[in-house]
Amino acid sequence: MSLSSTPAESRGTDAGPRPARSARHWWRGRSEVFVGLLTVGIGLFLGEQTLTMHVPDNSASPGPQFFPSVVAVLMVVLGTALALQVIRRPAPEPESGPADSEHRAHDQAGSVGELVDGERPPSGAPAAHSDWRTIGIVVGSVALFALLLQPVGWLLSGALLFFGVAWAFGGKRPVFEAGVALVYSSVVQLAFVAGLGLKLPAGILGGVL
Amino acid sequence: METLGLLGGGFAAALTPENLLWALIGVVLGTAVGVLPGLGSAMAVALLLPVTFKLDPTGAFIMFTAVYYGGLFGDSTTSILMNTPGNSSAIATAIEGHKMALKGRASQALATSAIGAFVGAVVSTAVVAFFSGVIIDIALRFGPAEYFALAVFAFLATSAVVAQSMVRGLIALSIGLSLAMVGIDSQSGAARFTLGIPSLFEGVSIITVTVGLLALGEVLYVASRVHRGGSGTTGLIRTTGTPWLSGRDLRRAVPAWIRGLGFGLPFGAVPAGGSEIPTFLAYGTERKLSQLRARRGKRTDEFGEGAIEGVAAPEAAASATAGTAMGALLGLGLPTSATAAIMLAAFQQYGMQPGPLLFERNADLVWALLASLFVGSVMLLILNLPFAPLWAKLLLIPRRYLYAGITGFAVLGVYASSYSVTELWLLILLGLLGFMMRRYAIPVAPVLIAVILGPLAETELRRALAIGQGDVGALFAGPITIGIYAVILGAVALVAVARMRSARRTRAEAETADSVR
Repeated sequence: MSLSSTPAESRGTDAGPRPARSARHWWRGRSEVFVGLLTVGIGLFLGEQTLTMHVPDNSASPGPQFFPSVVAVLMVVLGTALALQVIRRPAPEPESGPADSEHRAHDQAGSVGELVDGERPPSGAPAAHSDWRTIGIVVGSVALFALLLQPVGWLLSGALLFFGVAWAFGGKRPVFEAGVALVYSSVVQLAFVAGLGLKLPAGILGGVL
Repeated sequence: METLGLLGGGFAAALTPENLLWALIGVVLGTAVGVLPGLGSAMAVALLLPVTFKLDPTGAFIMFTAVYYGGLFGDSTTSILMNTPGNSSAIATAIEGHKMALKGRASQALATSAIGAFVGAVVSTAVVAFFSGVIIDIALRFGPAEYFALAVFAFLATSAVVAQSMVRGLIALSIGLSLAMVGIDSQSGAARFTLGIPSLFEGVSIITVTVGLLALGEVLYVASRVHRGGSGTTGLIRTTGTPWLSGRDLRRAVPAWIRGLGFGLPFGAVPAGGSEIPTFLAYGTERKLSQLRARRGKRTDEFGEGAIEGVAAPEAAASATAGTAMGALLGLGLPTSATAAIMLAAFQQYGMQPGPLLFERNADLVWALLASLFVGSVMLLILNLPFAPLWAKLLLIPRRYLYAGITGFAVLGVYASSYSVTELWLLILLGLLGFMMRRYAIPVAPVLIAVILGPLAETELRRALAIGQGDVGALFAGPITIGIYAVILGAVALVAVARMRSARRTRAEAETADSVR
């Protein structure tokens, strides 16, 4: 249960006033500012939409604009607070070891461990760098599936999706993985279309099935 | 003895071959997602929800609750054998459980946790069954102001009190509330935030939100880490010997199970985001009691070296929350954990509204469900007591197939629930949102609670204000509302003080560290 992280404040103040180390250095551990800005953005969008909303005349006194305005203000305030918090205290450097699931689970315990044991959870997520290539392949596979599902049908587009994700996660034998993918989509077809009566597009294999 | 008659009828329904099969599928699936780190019963129910739409509701709910209970049984297995909690509800178990395993007492630790989970599940289900009348009596006194207070309680408890950062928790809450507002406002008919897209007029589907945040978000998060760092294969401890507890072990475990129940039962009914708090409270209490006993010279303090109480109490507490959470869901319509929130969505899918009326209108379903929870608990004990090491073998499934399979299921469910490709694009967006939230440790549970309770909160708020003719005081009339708000204020104050104290301690430590340097 060692949740103690190196106090980030001291490092934050060292790293701040040195513009020579480029803007990129400043962003390290502060990428969450983006989340704060996104929250402010959503809040502003909600606010704008609420103000221009077409309200039917017969609405009762706390109308449809009341609740959204509360949420919009809340989001702008919270987003600003988060951005300021991250700028003042950037996330700690990534640990060299693997970010294992045990650590994640500890993070999820939240303030609970703190309340019980007096131990501190880390102030934010460690600033590990995301592997955007793998994420890209997974998202691309889902997008391709969305495009192909209706014209091509579940059997092939589902298999392609499975293959894409398995490949992104480090599959090495393409032919074997493709076989597994086809077995997967066929089993799903049998279990859910034939068994449970879901309607999935048959696509180009419509005549065969 | 009316309850016994109703429960008897429930058992007659639960013991039909068909419903037994659904319960079995549920407990197997629940144990599996409980064992696998990163997957949980909330994700499993979210993925099952769309594909079971064609089932008879009784069978479907028997399966969902079996998954919920199963998740709380399975999560301790890998905690004990590998020090990798399957879910956050098993972190407390891992502390002493893994130490026990390292000392060659893995079988005893697994048995203690399985029996503890069983005791928690059975006792809490019995409490709900026999006190259902009381729950309904309370629920019938609730008007719009009370329901709004309850929703506010659920919002703040999950976001501000439980989350590790109040700002991040509240951001999650506001994201959920804004998702809930999309669509035609049911009271005035005004279109809100639809951007003129027709498929958004009915709002964002709860299935798409839960599957996107829980399933696709998790897949993307794992994808962003899978090629970084180790392969994640920690050594699995071999179990030896029989899983039976000696008399000496039992004398220590039984009181700890009972104390664990004391924490789990009340917390299950409180919307505090699941079973983490009671497990940690139970663990902390056992540790203090052990220190106390050591000081009195009764027994040496075994905590830190594998104390059986440290496994027994948290496990009983964790699964005791499941029963009372079902009670709060069925009787009040109040979801107290992420899984319960998705089950509330499932009830709405089937056109049922949990609450006091459910016990009248759908009495057959409710009692069959409660009875099947007893049946499922027995199944889970049989599945987990002797076979726990076998379940740990699930970790040998190649991760690429596991996550490819989950992705396939996610798109299948979302498409099958709407037959619309637009929902698939929405799924991608929500999956990216789920990834971002995991990446920055923003909790997901408040989003789910807000999406599901948001419309209720808004309706009841507007109704309460309309009844009071715009007088805000109408929201605070009556002892129930004042009581609920007082508890919220107390909890928030408590957490704020605890945070300030720990921040001051951090600063003090940093200063001493600097002066040493």
